[in-house]
Amino acid sequence: MSARGLITFEEVRQAFKAEAVLKKAKHDVKLVVPPPEFRRGCDLAVEFNINELVSIQRLLSANKMKYSQIISIDSATTKTLDAVKVFDFGDSVMVRCGALKITFEKGTGIIRNISGGGCPDVPYLYIELVGKKLSEAPRPREIGFTLCALCLDRAFEEALRLYESGYSGHSTN
Amino acid sequence: MSLVIAGTVPIKDFPLYTGTPKIEGNNLILDEHRVPCTMGTAALFFAAHLTCQTLNLPPPVWVTAGDIGDGVGSRIIYQHLTTNIKTLKPKILTLHYLLPITLLAKNMMLTIREMKPTLIADAGSMYVMKSIRAAKEFDLFTPDPGEMAFIADPQAVHPAYMQRYLFDFDTTNIPALIEQAYKHGNVPRVLLVKGAKDYIAKDGRIIAVIDEPNIPALEPIGGTGDTITGIVSALIYSGLEVEKAAVIAAKTNRVAGKLANPTTATRVLEIALQIPKALLDCLHY
Repeated sequence: MSARGLITFEEVRQAFKAEAVLKKAKHDVKLVVPPPEFRRGCDLAVEFNINELVSIQRLLSANKMKYSQIISIDSATTKTLDAVKVFDFGDSVMVRCGALKITFEKGTGIIRNISGGGCPDVPYLYIELVGKKLSEAPRPREIGFTLCALCLDRAFEEALRLYESGYSGHSTN
Repeated sequence: MSLVIAGTVPIKDFPLYTGTPKIEGNNLILDEHRVPCTMGTAALFFAAHLTCQTLNLPPPVWVTAGDIGDGVGSRIIYQHLTTNIKTLKPKILTLHYLLPITLLAKNMMLTIREMKPTLIADAGSMYVMKSIRAAKEFDLFTPDPGEMAFIADPQAVHPAYMQRYLFDFDTTNIPALIEQAYKHGNVPRVLLVKGAKDYIAKDGRIIAVIDEPNIPALEPIGGTGDTITGIVSALIYSGLEVEKAAVIAAKTNRVAGKLANPTTATRVLEIALQIPKALLDCLHY
């Protein structure tokens, strides 16, 4: 595996944006947990191939992306949790990633509820998403800021996939 | 000496507020602002307020500011508590929806320690207190199963980082997670784990399991965990021991849920409004 570099940020949302910009430019990047010495609480970093450093820096600069620093890392970083669990409530389905849960109505795809999590954008995302259809609601990672938003986005993604595939079954657990 | 609840409201640019809002219908009235009782600290405060009212206690005090996840309101609250905790003089301090910011949390704990209030944390405040290794200074955490797996993971500083194997069995083996958490030592004296079954553990030992009434539809409803934390905060404020308060709060929340006859689309307000009746049924549980 190529040596990897890490871009750290003041805010999780900046990591979301940088990841999107770099992926659009076909860079092999992923969101990861920063090593312990770079953690401040609720934060996220973008890992990339260090050989692409110049191109990465140019893209970040051209897109006016804010970041804290770029470091070289030797050991693998921890991935954020992306596993989900699905719970069937008969007329609705709840999908959970980490502590975040999103529940939608089977027939319509309307988001019935959001629960769990602890960062301040969760109640904000609740207000912005509940009552809307999965296919029309904003994605949590687009309007959220934190790792809780990232977990909720992963649950949202799975909920949308289930809804669009016509899911009508029972619990997968 | 009051019950002080600190946590954000999801309204951008909402100014710092310290006081006791009035309840008007579905809303909390904070000076000229109306805040609906939705998931988050509003639901926690609403539940604590109703519990205090039912027990004829002085109402709680809310320290809040607007935060939509960018950390603006959280920073204001951390700094306000750091500077003003001696004026607030909390008997009980419940810390709730705050963006985990380790440096500000460490500074805040320096002054809180001097006041020695009973300390309760849930949500982002629980995450940050675990990550700065201050959990042991707390009297109570109120995690859900996903958050319990995070507490059991000695390395994780946020539930999004917890190890996959812990997530895999978090709803099926809460006792093992509790045991693992106490083994690592970064846990409060009492844990109230809110889930399909509610577990109350003290000093590493499970002392109660509450599983009736069993209302599965409560789990998807945003804010049902917040209401438990609000109820238990007020019960501790009334003078009950933390573990006894946790048992009654868990039972009360379930009964309130049953009285609301919920579906997965129910709003937490409908459950919170049942708290006074449910509490009177459960007070001597």
